[in-house]
Amino acid sequence: MRPEILLLPILIPFASGVLALFTSRKYRGMVALIAAAMNLALACFLFKANVIFTAPWAGFGFEFILRAYQFSGFIIGAAACFAILITLYCTVFLKEKAFSNQFYAYLLISIAMLNGAVLADNLVAMLFFWEGMLLTLFGLIAIGRPGAFKTATKAFVIVGICDLCMMAGIALSGHLAGTLTISKISLDITGLGGLAFILLMIGAISKAGSMPFHSWIPDAALDAPLPFMAIFPGALEKLIGIYFLTRISLDMFKLDPHSWVSMVMMIVGSLTIVLAVSMALIQKDYKRLLSYHAISQVGYMILGIGTLVPAGIIGGLFHMLNNAIYKSCLFLTGGAVEKETGTTDLKKLGGLWKKMPVTFACFAVAAVSISGVPPFNGFFSKELVYDGALERGMIFYIAALLGSFLTAASFLKLGHAAYLGKISKENERAKEAPIQMLLPMIVIASFCIIFGLWNTLPIQKLIQPILGERLEGHNYGGFPTNMMLVIATVAVLLAALINHIFGVKKSGSGLGAVDHIHHAPVLSGIYDKAEKRLFDPYAIGLKIVDVVSKIAWSVDRGIDWVYNVFFVDAAFAVSNGIRSLHNGSYAAYLAWSLAGAGLVIIFLMR
Amino acid sequence: MILLSAIFVPVIGSFILPVIGKISERARNGLALCFVLVSLVGSSLLIPSVLAGNAVTFSRALPVGFNMVFTADSLAVFMAICSSLVGAVIVLFSFGYISHYENRNEYYLMVVLFLGAMMGIIFSANLICMFLFWEITAIASWRLIGFFRGKNDVLKADKAFLVTVFGALVMLLGFVLIAQQAGSFDLSVIKETFKASPVPDIAVLLILIGILTKSATLPFHTWLPDAGVAPSPVTALLHAAVLVKIGVYVFARLFIVTFTFSQMWHVIVPWIAASSALVSAGAALIDTDLKRIIAYSTVSQIAFIFLGLAIGGPLGVAGAMLYILMHGIAKGGLFLCAGIIEQNTHTKDITKMGGLVATMPVTAVAFLFCAFSVMGIPPFGGFFSKYMVMSSVFTSGQMALALTFLVGAFLTILYMFRLFNMIFMGDAQGAPAKEGSRVMVVSVAILGALSLLGGLYIIYPSNYVQIAVKQMLGM
Repeated sequence: MRPEILLLPILIPFASGVLALFTSRKYRGMVALIAAAMNLALACFLFKANVIFTAPWAGFGFEFILRAYQFSGFIIGAAACFAILITLYCTVFLKEKAFSNQFYAYLLISIAMLNGAVLADNLVAMLFFWEGMLLTLFGLIAIGRPGAFKTATKAFVIVGICDLCMMAGIALSGHLAGTLTISKISLDITGLGGLAFILLMIGAISKAGSMPFHSWIPDAALDAPLPFMAIFPGALEKLIGIYFLTRISLDMFKLDPHSWVSMVMMIVGSLTIVLAVSMALIQKDYKRLLSYHAISQVGYMILGIGTLVPAGIIGGLFHMLNNAIYKSCLFLTGGAVEKETGTTDLKKLGGLWKKMPVTFACFAVAAVSISGVPPFNGFFSKELVYDGALERGMIFYIAALLGSFLTAASFLKLGHAAYLGKISKENERAKEAPIQMLLPMIVIASFCIIFGLWNTLPIQKLIQPILGERLEGHNYGGFPTNMMLVIATVAVLLAALINHIFGVKKSGSGLGAVDHIHHAPVLSGIYDKAEKRLFDPYAIGLKIVDVVSKIAWSVDRGIDWVYNVFFVDAAFAVSNGIRSLHNGSYAAYLAWSLAGAGLVIIFLMR
Repeated sequence: MILLSAIFVPVIGSFILPVIGKISERARNGLALCFVLVSLVGSSLLIPSVLAGNAVTFSRALPVGFNMVFTADSLAVFMAICSSLVGAVIVLFSFGYISHYENRNEYYLMVVLFLGAMMGIIFSANLICMFLFWEITAIASWRLIGFFRGKNDVLKADKAFLVTVFGALVMLLGFVLIAQQAGSFDLSVIKETFKASPVPDIAVLLILIGILTKSATLPFHTWLPDAGVAPSPVTALLHAAVLVKIGVYVFARLFIVTFTFSQMWHVIVPWIAASSALVSAGAALIDTDLKRIIAYSTVSQIAFIFLGLAIGGPLGVAGAMLYILMHGIAKGGLFLCAGIIEQNTHTKDITKMGGLVATMPVTAVAFLFCAFSVMGIPPFGGFFSKYMVMSSVFTSGQMALALTFLVGAFLTILYMFRLFNMIFMGDAQGAPAKEGSRVMVVSVAILGALSLLGGLYIIYPSNYVQIAVKQMLGM
C-alpha cells in the first residue's frame, strides 16, 4: 500500500465539499452521497492498514505525518458510517432548504478535517485539522434559523478558547518531550507535564461536549439544522474528543490510576453525568432534552477513561461508540417528528406511535439502549464503566447509577409525551417519514441490538486491541461477571419505572411525569436559576470579560488623557510661565542677563 | 541596481505623479501602481541571491563623513515583499475608494512616497539613512492622516506626528550613543564593535522608545486608534502593512541581526507587549467605532510580534516574521473591508449597522477570512504564526507570560466576533447598503484569499523563513 493513500480521506471529502457548495439544488444531495460513499469505501480499505505518510511542512519539527493504525482506522470507519447515513437522511430532510449546499459542504469538510485529525501523528498537524473543525462548526450552526449566529458564535468562542488551551498544551508538551510526533511522546505528569495534560484534556473534553464547556449544545439544539445535532454533538465530536482523550491518557502521558489527573477526570465525568441529566429531566422540548443527554453521556466516557483501569477504559470507549449510535438515532427520530408535525415542543406532541410506528420503534430501541436496559448495547458499556468506577470509589459509582436513574426517567417521560397518550388535532394528518429517513434510523437502531447481543464482536475486534498489553490477557466481552452490579442496575431501572408511573398518576400526563422532582423544594429554586442561565459558564465568562475590558478601557483612556490633556496643559503652563517672565521691564531683563553671566563665570572659574 | 530601483523608483517617481495627474487620472493611477510593483518585483528578484547567503549591498560615500549604504539580506527582502505586496493591493483599492474625493494627486504622491520610504528603511544599513527615511514616513503619514482636512482630522494627524517624531528624536539620541562607541553609523561596523558585549542599556532604552512609538505599543499607542480618521486605504497602510511594521522591523534589524541586548530586556519587552496586548484587546471590546476597533486589534497583534522577537530563538523569530506577513495581509483586508462598509453605510458606528451580509456577501466573506486569520484559526495563515510565537514562549519557560498572551488570544476571538456579528449579522438597520465598487471588492477578495492560501501553502513562506532565521541568528 502506498503511503500517499492516506491523503485521500482528507482530500476527497474536502474537494467534494467545495464542489457541493457550487452545485445546483437538484444534485447537491447526490454529490454529497457519492462523496460519503467514497469516504466509507476508503475507510474500509484503510481499516486494517498500518502505514505512515511523511511530508515536510512548516519546519521546526512541524512535519506532516499521517499514520493509519488500529485505533485511527476504527474512528475513521465509525465516522464514515455515520456520515453516509446522515447524508442519506439529509437528502430528504434538507431537500427544500436553500442552505443545503452549505450544509453538505461544511459536513464533508468536517469529515475531511476529522479524518486528518485522527490520522495525524504530529501534534501540530493534528491541531491544524482539529481547530479547522471550528469553522465548519460555526457555519453549520449559523445556517440554522434566523438569529442562529449568536449560538454559532457562542459555540465558536467556547470551543475556540478550549482549542487555544490545547494549542498551549501542545506547545508545552512538544517542549517537554522534545518532539511533536505523537507516537514518540512519553511524558510524566509531574510539574509542567501536569499542566500540559490538563490543557490537552480541556481541548479533548470540550470537543466531546463535557461540562463546563457544554452550554452551546442545548442552544444549538433549537437553532441549528437538526441533522447537525445528530452528526456533530451526537456522533463525530464524541468520537474525536474521546479518541484524543484516550490517546493522551494511554499513549502520550504515563498515567497510573493513583495519579491526581485520574481523580480530576473522574470528578469532571461524574459531575457532567449528574448535572446534565438533571437538566435533561425537566426539558419540555424533544431536541433540547436530547441535547442535554448528549452532554450527560460524555460524562460516562470521561469517567470510564478517567478510572484508568482496563474495565473502565474499555467501557468508556465502548460507550463512545454506543452513544454515537443511539444518540444519532434519537436525534434522527426527533427530525422525523419535526418534519411530519412541524414542531418538537412536547406540549404539542403525543400519540404519534400510531401514525409513525417505525419511527417509534427506532426511538424505543434507542431509548432503552441509552437507559442501559439489558440486553441492549448501552447496558454493556455502562456495566463496564460501573465496574471501573466501583474499583476507584463508591461515590463515582453512585453518581453513575444516579445518572442512569435520571436518564431512564427522562426517556420514559419523553417517549410517553411524544408517542403515547392522546394525539393532538394538528397532528391528525401526520404520517410516517419517507424511506430515505427511515433507513438510516433502522440501520442505526439495529446496531443497538447487534452490539448488545453480540457485544464481544466490537469489544474484542475493535476496542480491546487499542489497549493491547494493558489488558493482561483479560477479556471484557460477554455478559457482566459481577452479578451484584447487574442487580443494582435492574433495581434502578425498575425504580425509574415506578417513579414514572407515580409521576403520571400525580400529574395526569406523560409530560408531567417528573414534575414532582422538578418542583420539589430546594430543587425548584436551583432549576429556575439554571433555566435563567445563571450557571452558564459562557454567560459568567462574558461578564468577567466585560469587567476586564472596562478596566482595560479606562487604562487606555487614562493614557490617552495624558496625551490629549496633560501634555497640552503642561505645554501651555510652561509657555505661560515663560511668557510672564517677558514682562517688558528693562530692569528685569538686566537682572536675568547679569545672573546668566554670573553663572557662566562660575562655570568657567571652576 | 535592482536594489536601488526598488527604493528610488517609488521615492522619486512619487513626485511626478501630481504632474501626470494634471493630464490623466488613469495614467497617474496606473503609474502609481507600477511604482509599487517595481518595489515588489525588485525585491522578489533578490530572493535567489539572499537565500544563497549573498547579501546584495550598495554603498557610496557622501560628503561630511556620512555614507549611504543599502543592504538586502533575507530579512530585508522578506519585509520588503510583505510591505510592497499589501501596499500594491491597497493602491489598487484606492482607485475605487479615493476616486470621489479631492486632492487625489497629493494622495497618490504621499502614498507612493510613503511606500518608497518604507523600502528605504528596510534596506538601509546605516543608522542615519534609516532615520532619514523614518522621518519621511512620519511626514507622509501626517499628511495622509489629516487627508480630509477637517479640524478633528488635522488634530489627530498632529497627534500622530508629534508622538512618532518625539519617539524618533529620542531614538536618534540612542543612535548617537551607539555611534560614539562604534565610531560609525554603519551597521556592519557597529556589528563588529558589539560582537562580544551587549550594547549599553541606556541606548537600548532610547531606541526602544522610538520603536514603540512607531509600532504603537503601550504606552505610546493611542495615536493609532485616533488615526482612524484617515481614509480607509491609508489606515490599512498605516496599521497593517507599513507604518506599525517599521518599528517591529527595526527592532529585528537592530536587536536581533546587528547587536544583542542584555538579558533583562528579554523579560521587559515581552511584558510591555503583554500589557499592550491585554489593554488594547479590552479596549477593542468596548469601543464602537469600526476602524478604532480594528486599530486596537492591530496594537494587540503587534504585541505578539514583539513577543516573538523579544523572546528570541529560531522559533520565536520565525513566528514573528510569519506574523508580520500574515497579519499584514489579514489586517490590510480588514481595513479595506471597513473602507467599503464605511463608504456605503456612511457611518463608522457599529451599533448602527447590521445584517450587511445580505447585501455585501463578498465583503463579508473576505472580512471573515481575514478575521479568522487574525484569530489564528487553521487553515488560515495566522494559525502558524500564532502557534510559533506561543510555542516559543513556552519553550522559554516564562509560564506567566505565556498564559497572559493566551488570554490575549481569547480576547482576540471575542472582539473579532463582536465586530463581525454587529456589522454583518442580525437585523439590517437603515437603508440597505450596496456592495462596494468592483475594484474595491476585488482587492479585499485578493487579501481574503491570500489569508487562506498563506495557511494552505505555508510550506513556501516557512521554507524561506527557516533559511532567513538561520542567517539572521548566524546558525
